[in-house]
Amino acid sequence: MSAPLLEVSGVGKRFGGLQALSNVSLSVEAGEIVGLIGPNGAGKTTLFSTLVGLHRPESGAIRLDGRDLVGLKPHKIAAAGMVKTFQNVALFLESSVLDNVLTGGLMRHSIPDARALARRCLERVGIAAIAGKLARDLSFPERARVEVARALCTEPRVLLLDEAMAALNHAEMDAFMALLRQLREEGLTLIVVEHHMRAIMSLCDRLVVLNFGQMIATGTPEQIARDPAVVEAYLGRSAA
Amino acid sequence: MSGLSPRHWAGLALLAAFAIALPFAFEPRGYGIRILCLALLFAAMAQSWNIVAGLANQISLGHAAFFGIGAYTSTLLLIHFGITPWLGMFAAAALGGAAALLISLPTMRLRGHYFALATLAFGEVMRVIGNSWGGLTGGPVGISVPFAQPSLALMQFRETRSSYWLMLAALVLVTLVFVAIKRSRLGYRLRAIKENADAAEVIGVDTTRTKIIAAVISGALTAALGTLYAQFQFFFDPDTVFGVASVSVRMAMIAIVGGIGTAAGPILGALFVIPLEELANQVFSAQAAGLSQLVFGLLLILVILIEPRGFMAIGPRLQRLFGKGDRR
Repeated sequence: MSAPLLEVSGVGKRFGGLQALSNVSLSVEAGEIVGLIGPNGAGKTTLFSTLVGLHRPESGAIRLDGRDLVGLKPHKIAAAGMVKTFQNVALFLESSVLDNVLTGGLMRHSIPDARALARRCLERVGIAAIAGKLARDLSFPERARVEVARALCTEPRVLLLDEAMAALNHAEMDAFMALLRQLREEGLTLIVVEHHMRAIMSLCDRLVVLNFGQMIATGTPEQIARDPAVVEAYLGRSAA
Repeated sequence: MSGLSPRHWAGLALLAAFAIALPFAFEPRGYGIRILCLALLFAAMAQSWNIVAGLANQISLGHAAFFGIGAYTSTLLLIHFGITPWLGMFAAAALGGAAALLISLPTMRLRGHYFALATLAFGEVMRVIGNSWGGLTGGPVGISVPFAQPSLALMQFRETRSSYWLMLAALVLVTLVFVAIKRSRLGYRLRAIKENADAAEVIGVDTTRTKIIAAVISGALTAALGTLYAQFQFFFDPDTVFGVASVSVRMAMIAIVGGIGTAAGPILGALFVIPLEELANQVFSAQAAGLSQLVFGLLLILVILIEPRGFMAIGPRLQRLFGKGDRR
């Protein structure tokens, strides 16, 4: 077995008195789609933010292709190939959609090349038609897709999607999942946080379950659906 | 996407011709042309400030530090070593840029009010140093630029209109720098930082480095303009060139009144604020102490209340109100 592309071991993150993450370990193989699930407040977004360097963990290691990323600034981690989207959507609101996405391409390209790449990313995500609109004028689902296009424009190896499918209808969600599968075929590794169980179950090769900042289970979607600890975390003790 | 339409170019050419010919409408050594010179100089200063404050939203209230460093650098080089202000201006820019780098390292992590206060303090520290290091600066008494035969080589002119053209050239140059930055990768990065610094970092923008580069360019240009000020006024003291109200806040206010982050904003702002200030002084200074500042302040508040985004936002707003009704 080859070494995993992303290896998280024993990561802990504390905010004041709150232990947001404790001893989280997971490894992700190149080309995998891993689903990260758990109740609200379980630490999913905190884990993403820690992985991309917005938070610095107090303990543990985060290795991408064997290189330790702990302590690196987010832009260095982006350059190494790991990027996340923001759950609450963090676009550059006064800029056009194209300029938003283009900015992601500037890390590796000149403006004209980044612009061409940005157009391709917009096309892939299915929003080429709104390239000229101001980000502030978009609907929430549109914004979420711009967020994904912008992350793709950085040409990542590992993409962390934080509820990118929120507010999509069923048809849109199917199209989006087809895109993610296509990206995986092209070599991208994905970790997705998502609340839509239907999407998670059909999309992911493997699930990781967080609860109160701890990893309580990992396995295939079928295994996870039957895991008593997971059922308890979601539905309470009596249901388990 | 980039370039301007032929109509815009024609408009700009017309504007340039008008700006170049304008001094001939004024008395060569009169008061009016001096006010115009100051308006152009402050437009250029506000434009330099605009590079870091307008594009990255790092609102500095300490740019007087760089301005004063520039004024003193070239003047001291001229006094002690006879170095022409043209070269002194480059030394000023180098020192101004270095000072900007030095102050940026600890303050660029700060955002909003905290950054504004830290830079404000830096400007004040420079003023205090200027006042107390008498051996170097002449202290509170001030310093005079040695007067020589008027000559281009020493940046001293017989007629004020020559100074006017120099200020105009400086304004055009700084504006070109601003526009070039705005359209470059640096400009895209600065805008990303302004609109969402965390998101910018995550998609690969080195936010600290980007802000520091902008601050150094801005500080260097401001210092070079300090040299022009010294050569124009011939006399200055620490309270004038390092002043919060006289320089730092005025630079910010001009850009904000005109339209922060736009190329034309600081120019419109300066052409409004500087003459208005002079007018208020002339009309009201005889009436009661402080009345002119009060009227000036009230007028500024009125402008900001009517359009907080500055003059540059008024045009589109009027268009929406009247002309192009096809919007909705």
